[in-house]
Amino acid sequence: MTDNKNILIKKILEQSIYPVLPEQLISMISAVSLEHLRNLTEIRLRINQPLLLVLGNQDITVNPMGEVVVNYNEAYLCNQDDIQRTLQLMSKNSLYAFEHQLKMGFLTIDGGHRIGLTGQAIIDAGEVKTLKSINGLNIRLAREVKGCADQIIPYIITKEGQVLNTLIISPPRCGKTTILRDLIRQISMGSNIYKGLPVGVVDERSEIAACKSGISTVDLGIRTDVLDNCPKAMGMLMLIRSMSPAVVATDELGRAEDIHAVREALNAGVSVVTTVHGKDLSELLHRPYVGELLENKYFHRYILLSDDPRVGTIKKIIDSSNNKILWEGAKKC
Amino acid sequence: MLKLIGSLLVLLVSSYIGFNMASRCQERPRQLRQIITCVGSLRSHIIYSCLPLHEAIANSTNGIYGPVAEFFQQVANSLEKNASLTPQEIIKKVLSEMEGSLILKRPEIEVLYVLGGNLGVMNCKEQEKYLSLVIEQLERFENEATRLRDLNTKMYRYLGICGGLAIVIILV
Repeated sequence: MTDNKNILIKKILEQSIYPVLPEQLISMISAVSLEHLRNLTEIRLRINQPLLLVLGNQDITVNPMGEVVVNYNEAYLCNQDDIQRTLQLMSKNSLYAFEHQLKMGFLTIDGGHRIGLTGQAIIDAGEVKTLKSINGLNIRLAREVKGCADQIIPYIITKEGQVLNTLIISPPRCGKTTILRDLIRQISMGSNIYKGLPVGVVDERSEIAACKSGISTVDLGIRTDVLDNCPKAMGMLMLIRSMSPAVVATDELGRAEDIHAVREALNAGVSVVTTVHGKDLSELLHRPYVGELLENKYFHRYILLSDDPRVGTIKKIIDSSNNKILWEGAKKC
Repeated sequence: MLKLIGSLLVLLVSSYIGFNMASRCQERPRQLRQIITCVGSLRSHIIYSCLPLHEAIANSTNGIYGPVAEFFQQVANSLEKNASLTPQEIIKKVLSEMEGSLILKRPEIEVLYVLGGNLGVMNCKEQEKYLSLVIEQLERFENEATRLRDLNTKMYRYLGICGGLAIVIILV
């Protein structure tokens, strides 16, 4: 298991992360032992602040030699050139190709790894036009964990083989997308208990399918159609009209139009599997738009995730009709 | 006999120089037209397809052959292999490598160099505006190059032959 984790992180770093980092940062990170790196979830770069490697719930800093240091004064401080070079490598000198994503404060690189950005927002007609003077980057490592949704599948597929409308609820960095990806794969592939169903995926942030030139680089099953880099609301309706999916899957609901599209999909006889940021149901009920979906019980199942004791912990599976907890525990992915 | 061979050689060399200068004069507007076509195509690939820069540049040479296509292909390859270099650094490097085969004058080279400095750092709308401006500038250079071609091509040829003849007459 440890070996597998080491191999996986090595592969992620070498194939997706190092190609977008300047030489200096690569040499520092690669000098850190795999014992630390295998739990790496984020790499944070902030101008004039230490390079932070986030390992699950804790973070470490390194000196210019790549040795882990506790004293921040000894840590390597990121500079503007590090940020600029990283941004240039990530965007492949093509910021215009990420215009839509930049407006939302992130961009996604090959492998489905999302890079969060902070800087100065340029506002035009009340909307963020773009970000300039980027001062911080958060490189979030995406992992494909096959089988991490095994515990959920029996609760969301009926005896008749129909997929129940499912909402995965969790705070950021708890493995929503990883679990959603595995759910999609399992629904699409089928098993000896249920048959595989056509799944339509609207991947607004290119995170679920990690598309490279429009082609998925992760295993989403043989009956999955991916609409990459398309706004959720528009994409869901496009898929329903054109690809006749039995299930539509998408990530991170939040805007009014997303909720409207989910309602349309549910009324069109298509099952929806999606995710939303939140800690628990009571918190979500107070959120605009999403709260409305919960109040009207559009979803049959709620899956609550947490990062305690570690990322990807399935906390609860709830039946929305009577708020009965169908499963409670700490299954680790 | 020796004089005849020598005179013929002088005539041949001077004619070759004249014809070569005439052909360079003809080649320049042709290359400028090809660059304009490539930049126009690059604009479409950026605006319509939002392709990454190296792919957009590589695709912009479809149907174009010769040194101009080679220049854009080399820039695209270098961008793909050395993403840490800026487009401007790469264009500068490729321009110096292809100095002999690209028949461009200093202002045209400067336009290409500045183009490199503004590629990939703007949004689609601004990129479109900038590329249109570059095309306008290049079209002005092309018109000037065409005028010079019409004016000078014949002159260089005649000058080559007549110059050779004059040298032969003086020497003989």
